Amino acid sequence: MSRAVAVVGVGQTHHNSKLPDVNCAEMVRIAVDKALLDAGLTHEDIDAIVLGKAPDPLEGIMQPEQYLAGALGAHMKPIIRVHTAGSVGCTTALVAATHVASGIYGRVLTVAFEKQSEGNAMWALSPNYAFTPPMVAGAGGFFAPYCRAYIMRSGAPSHIGAVVAANARENAARNEHAHLKDPMTVEDVLASPMLWDPIRLLETCPSSDGAIAIVLANEELAKKGPRKPAWIKAGATFTEPMFVPGRDQVSPLAGRMCAKFVYEKAGIKDPWNEIQVAEFYVPFSWYEPMWLENLGFAPLNEGWKVVDRGDQKMGRHMPVNPSGGVLNTNPIGASGMLRFGEAALQVMGRAGEHQVPNVKNALGHAYGGGAQYFSIAILGTEL
Amino acid sequence: MSKLRNVAIVGFAQAPIVDADPHHTAPEMLYPVVKQALASCGIERKDIDYQCAGSSDYIDGRAFSFSQVLEVMGAWPPVQDSHVEMDAVWAAYLVWVKMQAEECDTAIVAGFGKCSEGSPTHVLNLQLDPFYHASLGLDHISTAALQASAYMAKSGVDDAGLAEVVARNRAAGAANPDTQLRKAASAKDLQGTPFVTKPLREGYLPPIGETATVMVLAVEGKAEKMCDKPVWIQGVDHRIELQTIGSRDLTQSASTRLAARNALEMASVTSAREAQVVELGSATPAEELILRDALGLPSGLGGNGASADGPVVNPSGSPLCGNPLMNTGLLRLAEGFRQLSGRAGERAVAGAKRALVHASAGHCLQQNIVWVLGTERRWT
Repeated sequence: MSRAVAVVGVGQTHHNSKLPDVNCAEMVRIAVDKALLDAGLTHEDIDAIVLGKAPDPLEGIMQPEQYLAGALGAHMKPIIRVHTAGSVGCTTALVAATHVASGIYGRVLTVAFEKQSEGNAMWALSPNYAFTPPMVAGAGGFFAPYCRAYIMRSGAPSHIGAVVAANARENAARNEHAHLKDPMTVEDVLASPMLWDPIRLLETCPSSDGAIAIVLANEELAKKGPRKPAWIKAGATFTEPMFVPGRDQVSPLAGRMCAKFVYEKAGIKDPWNEIQVAEFYVPFSWYEPMWLENLGFAPLNEGWKVVDRGDQKMGRHMPVNPSGGVLNTNPIGASGMLRFGEAALQVMGRAGEHQVPNVKNALGHAYGGGAQYFSIAILGTEL
Repeated sequence: MSKLRNVAIVGFAQAPIVDADPHHTAPEMLYPVVKQALASCGIERKDIDYQCAGSSDYIDGRAFSFSQVLEVMGAWPPVQDSHVEMDAVWAAYLVWVKMQAEECDTAIVAGFGKCSEGSPTHVLNLQLDPFYHASLGLDHISTAALQASAYMAKSGVDDAGLAEVVARNRAAGAANPDTQLRKAASAKDLQGTPFVTKPLREGYLPPIGETATVMVLAVEGKAEKMCDKPVWIQGVDHRIELQTIGSRDLTQSASTRLAARNALEMASVTSAREAQVVELGSATPAEELILRDALGLPSGLGGNGASADGPVVNPSGSPLCGNPLMNTGLLRLAEGFRQLSGRAGERAVAGAKRALVHASAGHCLQQNIVWVLGTERRWT
């Protein structure tokens, strides 16, 4: 960041398969009000708004930032609407950070939401492209071959996915906002129906309703408090096309480049030992070992060994997804910003029961499209 | 305003605006335009730091529609990228902000929207409040008609006045080889066309077409090497209002007024009248009159205020001569670039050194952006 940017407030709704007592506007407003309250600010303190969400057909409102202008407190303010598939939440937060880093805006409110109960995610996530046979398989059907390729390539034993899912659920139980919290063992996961081999029902993310809002501020304003800010030490988005001969769908080059870029900017040489907690975008269990490798936390084909040893669990070397992650809470457009926001809360020491001790650096990550869009942020206690 | 980075528009290309291009997909329409825009700057894709597209899933009729243009935008090896679900003119804005943050020095912006693959009328209905407005069956024409009625009642402008505004734009459009309607029409003929939704007649509404657009932007130091006459961004601001049609005064555009005030202040210009060219994103004649009011420009009706030293308004013919959704705003910015960089051909405004460009989104001018462009750098 050319100018320092910090997270000064975070607010999120409870997440559930259906939040029947609120419409989109009301749901978004809850997150906005909580973020402003958290930052000790009011709407008058906000200079601009950056909104992100995944495809509009999920709720049936086209460009909902227009309808939501009032709920967002955007009247007579600038608003930008971002959409970069599943990565959008984290990318939206980074677009907001760019607004502050530009020096044009002092405080920016960034918001992401999805109300999946209003639409049909399987349909909305099965796009029909020219010259490509429609799979009508949703995201799970799309990503299962990538996970299978990972297993073949790495020789990972078949229980790894179930271990990831059970651990994520254990973590979610400590997160007051998480959607799925019922206890679940490795045996439960292995006994659940196979949906898209190798992905079983209990290794799959839910469809959630939920929203998150974050207030970002420049250095001068961030230091005014009331809370200890989380500094954005680096952030970037890298993207690659779907159809490139030789593209590595299992460990995409865009993800590796994005990670390398942010580590360099943040001055991190050894992420496994210099980052204390990470929130990865893991919609299907196998993606946890895949991202451990793609983001440089484990050597190629050895991410599953980290999971097998349990080094990514709470209380171990570097907890991954202490919030329970996307596997237990997935309002798609908001999921990436939840990774960013949870990383910020860990840095601020305010993650509650799922707080990891002594966090200096935290990583928030999201991906989207056909494993094409990558967005990573490093948040830290120090500038 | 503290000193900002000087950023220039250095290249632009577009596909012809047509009702429908049934032979090409959006990526196929965009690919030659990307190549043309880069070639016009004498650069290759690897010379670009950042890319940002503007498009709408609903317009194209498929989720993640923007992901299909990555191949043709040249995103391999992987690139730094973003996408706004907005008119591509806001992608240009995001690029400008990104350059102010020193996160990139060169960028391409792409716009596309295959309006023919869906029904814009139904899609734009879904943009409205789902409980109180969309359910009434309102679309972009009926809300624009409500606004036009309100404006006419307040201002006293009549049907002939609306026709005069359109005729002026159609005359300009006839000289613009890059727009869609290139046939002049008299006010009398336009007044003879049937009402679509009163008081808006068929002749007062633009065709909704489709195109693909690409703009290249660069910071000072690089811009000069990519363009013989870079057009510098001297000021810019954008604002949104509440959507609720009943809770705002439709006869004026408060958000345009505020955005223009801020953009002019950034440019250190006192009034829109100091520009030689004004390009407005007005898709109905009433919108043009409301925007003129907001910018402090005379209506130009019946010779009112059409003094020789005032700016030329809508030299392109405005969206009234072609409204390819998701590109319409970027085309306004492109007109400013063309006018100030000697690329406007026969419609060039002589001696133009400064342009004020406006673009809009949403129903009844809900969201508005104002740019001040110039042949000179703003910050030294």
